[in-house]
Amino acid sequence: MNVLRVSGWKIAAFVLPCLIIYSLLVFVPILVSFYSGLLDWNGIGDAKFIGLKNFEKMLTNDSIFWPAVGRTLLLAGVSMGVQLPIALCVAILISRYVRKPNFLVSSYFLPVILSVVVIGQLWKTIYNPASMGGMLNQILESLGLQSWTHSWLTEPKIAIYSVIVVALWQYLGYHILIQFTGIQNIPSDIYEAAKIDGASGLKADRYITLPLIVPIFKISVVLSFIGSLQSFDLIMVMTGGGPAHATEVVASLMYNMSFLSMKYGYGSAIASFLVILCLVATIIINGLFSKLDKRYS
Amino acid sequence: MSYTAPVLRKPTVRNDRRGRFSVTTSIVYVIFAILIVTQLYPLLWLLIYSLKTNEEILSGSFFALPASLQWQNYSDALGGGQYFRYLGNSLFVTSVTMVCVIVLASLTGFAIARFRWKYANAVLMVFLVGMMIPMQGTLLPLMIIFKHLGILNTHLSLILPYMAFQTPIAVFIISGFMRSIPHEIEESAIVDGSGVFRIYWNIALPISVPPIMTVCILTFINIWNEYILAATFVTAERLKTLPFGVYSFVSQYSVNYGGIGAFLVLGALPVILIYFLLAEKITKGMVAGAVKG
Amino acid sequence: MKFKPLMIALLASALTLGLAACSSGNNGSASSNGGKNEGSTNTNSQTNSGNQEDTSKKEVKITFQNIYPDPSDPKYKMLRTVVSNYEAEHPNVKIELDSLNTDQQKVKLKTQAASKEVPDITIVNPAAQMKPFVDAGLFAPLNEMVEKNGLKGTFQEGILDYYTFDNNLYALPDGNNIAIVYYNKKMFEEGGVKVPTTFEEMVDVVKQLKAKGIQPMAIGEKDSWTGSFLFMNILLRTNGGPGFLQDVIDGKKTFEDPAFTEAVNAFEDLVQAGAFQEGATSFDYNAGENLFKTGKAAMYFMGSWATGGIEESTANENQNVGVFKFPTVNGKGNPNEFMLAPGSAFAVSKDSKHLEETLDFLNYFLINYPKEMFNLKGAIGLAQTVDGDFKAAGYSDMAMEVLNLFKDVKGGDLAFDNTMNPGTAQAHLSSIQNLFVSKTDAGVVAKEHQTAYEENKD
Repeated sequence: MNVLRVSGWKIAAFVLPCLIIYSLLVFVPILVSFYSGLLDWNGIGDAKFIGLKNFEKMLTNDSIFWPAVGRTLLLAGVSMGVQLPIALCVAILISRYVRKPNFLVSSYFLPVILSVVVIGQLWKTIYNPASMGGMLNQILESLGLQSWTHSWLTEPKIAIYSVIVVALWQYLGYHILIQFTGIQNIPSDIYEAAKIDGASGLKADRYITLPLIVPIFKISVVLSFIGSLQSFDLIMVMTGGGPAHATEVVASLMYNMSFLSMKYGYGSAIASFLVILCLVATIIINGLFSKLDKRYS
Repeated sequence: MSYTAPVLRKPTVRNDRRGRFSVTTSIVYVIFAILIVTQLYPLLWLLIYSLKTNEEILSGSFFALPASLQWQNYSDALGGGQYFRYLGNSLFVTSVTMVCVIVLASLTGFAIARFRWKYANAVLMVFLVGMMIPMQGTLLPLMIIFKHLGILNTHLSLILPYMAFQTPIAVFIISGFMRSIPHEIEESAIVDGSGVFRIYWNIALPISVPPIMTVCILTFINIWNEYILAATFVTAERLKTLPFGVYSFVSQYSVNYGGIGAFLVLGALPVILIYFLLAEKITKGMVAGAVKG
Repeated sequence: MKFKPLMIALLASALTLGLAACSSGNNGSASSNGGKNEGSTNTNSQTNSGNQEDTSKKEVKITFQNIYPDPSDPKYKMLRTVVSNYEAEHPNVKIELDSLNTDQQKVKLKTQAASKEVPDITIVNPAAQMKPFVDAGLFAPLNEMVEKNGLKGTFQEGILDYYTFDNNLYALPDGNNIAIVYYNKKMFEEGGVKVPTTFEEMVDVVKQLKAKGIQPMAIGEKDSWTGSFLFMNILLRTNGGPGFLQDVIDGKKTFEDPAFTEAVNAFEDLVQAGAFQEGATSFDYNAGENLFKTGKAAMYFMGSWATGGIEESTANENQNVGVFKFPTVNGKGNPNEFMLAPGSAFAVSKDSKHLEETLDFLNYFLINYPKEMFNLKGAIGLAQTVDGDFKAAGYSDMAMEVLNLFKDVKGGDLAFDNTMNPGTAQAHLSSIQNLFVSKTDAGVVAKEHQTAYEENKD
């Protein structure tokens, strides 16, 4: 329970500056987007109010929309289910085995700061056909695994996975950094006490690190979910959503609709959907973690 | 709730280091090494890339070295790319945004986590809603708002939205952390007769260095390469940021990839330098924050 | 130490006040043009010049949004030369260049248009692509301006029609190109093939080159307009002449017309024969073109704007690159009808605060544009007639060949997205891109197009 009793104006002084800027620049635009979603508007000329028709079409009669939602959730799922556990393992290993971890953690973190323009180029040279010097296919061929080679970015069923791998790679170090910070903040006396009780190594990790890392793991989960929903630049650079929408995600679809197809109203409807999706996800994530919290505390 | 409270405890650099030369240890080190290669190779690759001709880059061999070093790319980047001006603008916009985000979010986070008032959770929810909104979706409404505020084509038109979009996650992280600070601390502070601002500044803020570092890093990576908002709201050459330099090598029917590479190296260099110089301090800062309380 | 909380409070409030002041401070000056800083520089120079020069000439700042950000692009140099010449002649005028890459410029202009903040001069694409802007009344007519200094006469005949709506001219193009096929002579020799004169021969050439292990064609299909451009050229043939899309718009034809399905089939023949490189849909425009430029592909279908780049590439050493017209398909069509690509064009905001000066500058700019481009060897595919001896100026054989092709042009079609509304165009682009990765029945493709068209029709 919070203890500080403060007067109203003090609360206002603490909260209002932030809240006002945030509401004006994030909340108002969201509301505007909801409204634009009700319009038949190319973004430039006259707008026509058409009620919920955009939403109706989006949800029931758009062959691109649901697959894009599916891909977005797939990306989020893989990122939370594969990337975060790996990052956690690495973070635990680093904290246990490395005496001066700064350099290591910092190095892992570096790909995050590279621009997607370069990341896209780099991975294209990895995914290219062997004849164009594609590294992955060349390695497969030299191992005698010709049948495993693919056009990684252009086969509609594979392309999205190829892009997901890149996203996972790029943000791995980021999550390692966050979780490593978390582990460092676990007081060492807890481990020492556990050692006396005969719990060390894996056992200590199971009973001490994991429960105590839950709060920071939550931050990682939220961040990776946000990242997945907003993943847009990487897709645009690597495939442009193609071939034939095979790698389209919600954010790229929204962008394409608003600015290329010039259906701003429809694009806004998609944006509104994204907001609702985020809301639902936030509630679910919070719910899950408050359960975890209760279990461990 | 979030981050375990480090207060009143010793910092931890946890080194059991059991079985110093065991098989497990070597396997673990191999894993580290592989990761280092996969995460650092891109930088080396970028360096090589920045010295190649367009044709060499586009022909796409992964390991190939340039036939002759194209220093021309760097002079392109320094000359045409307006490097120093863009760098200065980027540093300015990013640092102002960071400071604002930290000040605003820590104030709000403190209020949410420590004050006794009815709407704490409601306010937190309001922030959570906005946490996941992609910036691109708000391009047009922001344009209209800025037009009416009359701040189009100023740095403020970048700082404000960057700030606004980074505060939700910052409030989330910082308030989560501040909740875990034991109450005894401020109770004793109240007995001492300290006001809330003093508790915030002398106690809450120093303890919160670790989450603030996280927020800094987050803010930085989200806005350092941001281009869509920047390109839309800023028109004047002297206000443009680094991503403009990168994209200045992209014209309608040709792209100067070597120039892009060189520009990215130049753009990343100061950042990497600052980061590695401060890496020690950053971790130390986190630890120090833990001790001070 | 006791003052610390007070200081924090002050700091916090100062910050918020500062921000507020910042924004309100800008409010006033922004109405003049752009941001706060421009406002102050303007007043400064006004007071300075007040003593020396006539005060009647007011300071004018013209914002020129353009798509020439790359210093290695001839247009970049041209732009800066002309602008500085003009500024030297008109000391009271300052041209502010907002140079963006093409994609970003489109997004920026659309966002600006929605909030009625169009820059003084901007760039639009012809015909259907600029229509929404014209309909929204954002651009100033250029009818009078183009008559001044004989500017109108410099433009090729008919080219301005693509920028004219209801007898009002709204933009002036920076180029005019046609689609041609570039080929690598040495690779043709190695493959033992000749320049094809029909589409069927072309498919055959593809097969023979393929059999010899030579990559027949290159394409950058990640930018899906490239495949569409080629497809539309086939359609231009199977339709027996231009105007298929216009007929669809006029309700005389549908996409299920035999001419359309025939074109789809022919296009798929080419794809299935293995004409294009593996993974073509992940190659962007530049990566695709680079295959041809580095001698890794034998043919390349593209607009004549690519000439300059190919001229200087390794593939063209010893004048090794030739060009040919896109051939007839199933004996239909006329090779002298080309895919036409009237260029991006300069339009002027109707709400420009300095409309008169802006028009004057644009007139000056376009009068000088062809001269400067000729000097920079970038004069292939301009929309204006260029006086000058290309051969003597050092243009290559291939460039001369391309110039000669221009003389044969007897009309043609515009690209799909210049004719149809954006919604249908996007559906079309993705439908054609799909043909690169999965063989689809022509009837299905036609149906996709027809559905998309009916959905997006006004």
